[in-house]
Amino acid sequence: MLLVNFRGLYTFLLVFYLQFVNAQNFSISGSVYDASNGESLIGATVYLKEIRVGVATNQYGFFSLNAPKGKYTLVCQLTGYITYTQSIQLNSSQSLTIKIAFDEKQLEEVEVTTKALDENVKSSQMSSVNLDMVEIKKIPAFMGEVDILKTIQLLPGVKNAGDGNTGFYVRGGGPDQNLILLDEANVYNASHLMGFFSVFNGDAIKNVNLIKGGMPAQYGGRLSAVLDINMKEGNNQNFQVDGGIGIIASRLTIQGPIIKNKASFIVSARRTYVDILAKPWLDKSDFKGTSYYFYDFNAKFNYIFNEKNRLFFSTYHGKDIFDFTDGESDFRTRIPWGNTTASLRWNHIFNPKLFSNATAVFSNYNFNFEAFQDDFEFKIMSGIRDFNFKYDLNYFPNSRHNIKAGVNYIYHIFTPTNVSAKQGETTFDLGKVIRLYSHDAAIYISDDWDLTQNLKMNMGLRYGNFTQIGPFTRYKKDMFGNINDTVFYKANEKVVNYDGLEPRLALRYSINPRASIKASYTRNFQYIHLATISSLSLPTDVWMPCTEEIKPQIGNQYALGYFQNFGDNIFETSVEVYYKTMDNQIEYKEGAEPSANVYDNPDNAFTYGRGWAYGAEFFVKKSKGKFTGWIGYTLSWAWRQFKEINYGRDFLAKYDRRHDASLVLTYDMNKQWNFGAVWVYATGNRGTLPNGFFLYEGSLSHDYGLRNSYQFVPYHRMDLNATFTPNREKKLERRKQKLIEQYKLEGKDTTNIQVAKKWAKKFSNSFTLSVFNVYNRYNPYFIYFTREGDFLNGTLKVGAKQVSLFPILPSFTWNFKF
Amino acid sequence: MKYFNYIVLIFVCVLFSCRKDVNVKLPEYQVKLVVEGSIETGSPAVVLLSYSIPYFGEFDFTTPEKSFVKEAFVTVSDGVMVDTLKALDPSVGYIFIGSKINGVEGRMYTLKVKVNNEEVSVQSTILPKIALDSLYFKWEQDSLGFIWQHFKEPSGLGNNYRWFSKRLNTKYTDAFFAAPLFSVFDDKFVDGKNFDFSYDRGPQPNDVQKWRDDPNRSYYRVGDTVAVKFCHIGKAEYDFWYTYYQNKASNSNPFSAPTNIKSMFVNNEKVFGAFVAYSPYFDTIVIKPKP
Repeated sequence: MLLVNFRGLYTFLLVFYLQFVNAQNFSISGSVYDASNGESLIGATVYLKEIRVGVATNQYGFFSLNAPKGKYTLVCQLTGYITYTQSIQLNSSQSLTIKIAFDEKQLEEVEVTTKALDENVKSSQMSSVNLDMVEIKKIPAFMGEVDILKTIQLLPGVKNAGDGNTGFYVRGGGPDQNLILLDEANVYNASHLMGFFSVFNGDAIKNVNLIKGGMPAQYGGRLSAVLDINMKEGNNQNFQVDGGIGIIASRLTIQGPIIKNKASFIVSARRTYVDILAKPWLDKSDFKGTSYYFYDFNAKFNYIFNEKNRLFFSTYHGKDIFDFTDGESDFRTRIPWGNTTASLRWNHIFNPKLFSNATAVFSNYNFNFEAFQDDFEFKIMSGIRDFNFKYDLNYFPNSRHNIKAGVNYIYHIFTPTNVSAKQGETTFDLGKVIRLYSHDAAIYISDDWDLTQNLKMNMGLRYGNFTQIGPFTRYKKDMFGNINDTVFYKANEKVVNYDGLEPRLALRYSINPRASIKASYTRNFQYIHLATISSLSLPTDVWMPCTEEIKPQIGNQYALGYFQNFGDNIFETSVEVYYKTMDNQIEYKEGAEPSANVYDNPDNAFTYGRGWAYGAEFFVKKSKGKFTGWIGYTLSWAWRQFKEINYGRDFLAKYDRRHDASLVLTYDMNKQWNFGAVWVYATGNRGTLPNGFFLYEGSLSHDYGLRNSYQFVPYHRMDLNATFTPNREKKLERRKQKLIEQYKLEGKDTTNIQVAKKWAKKFSNSFTLSVFNVYNRYNPYFIYFTREGDFLNGTLKVGAKQVSLFPILPSFTWNFKF
Repeated sequence: MKYFNYIVLIFVCVLFSCRKDVNVKLPEYQVKLVVEGSIETGSPAVVLLSYSIPYFGEFDFTTPEKSFVKEAFVTVSDGVMVDTLKALDPSVGYIFIGSKINGVEGRMYTLKVKVNNEEVSVQSTILPKIALDSLYFKWEQDSLGFIWQHFKEPSGLGNNYRWFSKRLNTKYTDAFFAAPLFSVFDDKFVDGKNFDFSYDRGPQPNDVQKWRDDPNRSYYRVGDTVAVKFCHIGKAEYDFWYTYYQNKASNSNPFSAPTNIKSMFVNNEKVFGAFVAYSPYFDTIVIKPKP
């Protein structure tokens, strides 16, 4: 199977080489920007009307297309923007800078883009959703905090594990199988405090793209999905301040030009203040001394040297900090954890057909736990640190091909759970800090190719190579768990090496301009694993590289879909089916503890298995008009099988979901009022509960059922919101009229009346009231069993209690902008 | 790690959560034969046999004796002799005791249990005795405190231990040696080291409720005479007890992995338990008033 694809690829490469040697075309290339703030626009369609040849702008707003000599009408479109047209006399290759304006009067339909976009039907990419922040911000948000991760979980095929769980699950894959990129930097833990909030501050984000299947070759290293998030570049026209004050957090974003049209910046910060608000209340309770907060900081700078060179620097730093001090017992603990990322990117345009991007990325995730009592000190740390270099080329030989190629190298430093303890002067031997080092390299090529008018194909090939290197000590054990051999590896010495070819293929066949069929096959390798100790996902989960014991995760996904747009592309619909296999999955063995580092390797604590998943996804989206939103429904199965779990039998994964439905509606009543509603329904999670108990040494112990043999009750919930945006102009006008009347009464001159300074005129604000869990559904977080009385006395009583996290929760947010 | 989980749990529960009683429909339960067997140097084997009980099933909790195994054919052999264990009270069953074989250091014992025509067997060896250096008492309050032991752990990895205590004085006389929570440890962190350790006082297996109701349940009192039994045990036996205590500690706490105990009846879904050969070292301490 693999060989056939491989050979096929070379044949294709050869064919198009011959093709573009013969081509006699001129190129039109350039970038598309938002006219108001100079942000480059991703996914804008640029096409020549007469010959219906078009492309979408890439991640940096760049496009390139080819056409024979002639006169054309160039059209540029993007949802929410006014359609841009320009006549072009093509005698030689041209470079353009297109500025399109955001449609402020979107509600008065007449002036809106003549036609919505049909990218979903036309492109070869399937299983993908692109969301812009304008759309996301209209949806009801938990505690008023706009949240990208929560929003994507409303899409078919993407699931969460319920309130209070971090991570998301795509098509039956685990939360570690999602590649989360923030300006090309890996984000290893995308959630604050157990998933209540994502680390992405909505004010700093421009665009979100999710790929659930048919992953193009430029992405790799994960099995299930890509969440590609782009930060705003910063307004290069005017200074702008956005902010918001909510009941648990406040945000502030400042952006503006450093040199107009050439350089701009954006800085954005957010901090929660539950710790401060809840303090007086907590102080009176048993939980005195408890405090928690998180903060985020995003910054980005960009500099346009010239038309051909542009530099970006972006950084993110976020931290959760949990403190607890027990005054009575002198017990103190401090638990900080968080991510830091930084990426430096250089866009260089060699010529109108060749675009390049070089990226250097630093990414770090750390979890620390420190506890002190009297002279006793106890510390746990774990984390992962990456140094990443990428070089990507985008080549547009002619209008029928879009070739991407690149290399990627990552140096990973893993710190699996390390424990240290000290009492006074005595340090306990809990092992040295163990770090694992590895090289992770990849090379890829792909071509998005219009074979015929109706048939488009995206084929790609990726090759990954992963090496664990020393220093490293391997403890080999016999069947009783006693060490019978120890192997030492020196620094940089190879411990183990894995590699693999990852063919990717996607096909689109257009039945008519409104409908298409798409199919894809992808094979992915993943050389890092997330080991989850608990039945809930927590920041304590540990990242582990492939080692001699841990083999790379290998995924295969087959997907087939039908896409159709109705009513002049106002309604997008799709049906997709998928089948996916995942090999070399890991789980902790029974009774394993992540801190077993002494005379032991962390990977000895794992058991290995496989997973497979299949399902169907239905999606209807309306993206234009007063009423917008979508309905998604997924029917799916997610299976696992591990040698040492459930006696080797197949079992359903925790987040196996037979049914998953979501309804998202937003209604823009007028300029002042808009409303949003979300309703979700999901089959309950699977979990492991005690099924029975037994008597041992005179007391009762739980006998747990088979792993994931219990199914929780379904999860469902409705959220609503309403946003009121006062009409500033009207207000200013009213005030002006009032002044004029007053002046007239007083007999003063009314010609030069100024009611507000410039910034005040620009000032706008809005009030959002959102209600989470409107009908107060008690969704299960976990269930625990209670026992009263004594078994041997015959007085035992048993019961079960369900803990739910969030009852109905109204919240209020004030947002402003000037 | 556990601290973190509990603290977050507390925090979350305080701020938002709500609790309610629910009816849970658990998957069908497979009742298991529970084997609690032991032998130690100088004593015959003792095996307790019972059935596990489904959580929300038909079982009537007012008649706990219905979980006891009344009839069973239980033998222990040392490779030469076979000792058939007899029920202490044939009308009740549950506790079966040997008479012919007393444990001897260095010997391996095979336990065979046959109930309802199904037979299972498991082996355990009495390892060489390892002694504690000394015992001493540390007062926590005027009349209460803990027993500490000074221990020089022998060099060489792979030793596992279990600790028990029994009060011998007239006021509180314990019937059994009792083991507290996590009364096992191995030498992974302490191999060849000189160190001191202490444990809480454990419950008496015949009356756990009494211990639970005692506000000073973990302490020893001034005036107690306490015997300490410190046993050298094997790896599989240690794993069983360690995971047993993990299971007890997690107690359906969602932040820890549900721990299935590492039964010494490997890969057997119908039988659960252990047969532990103990190699005990005994010492006694008389707890004096705080000077």
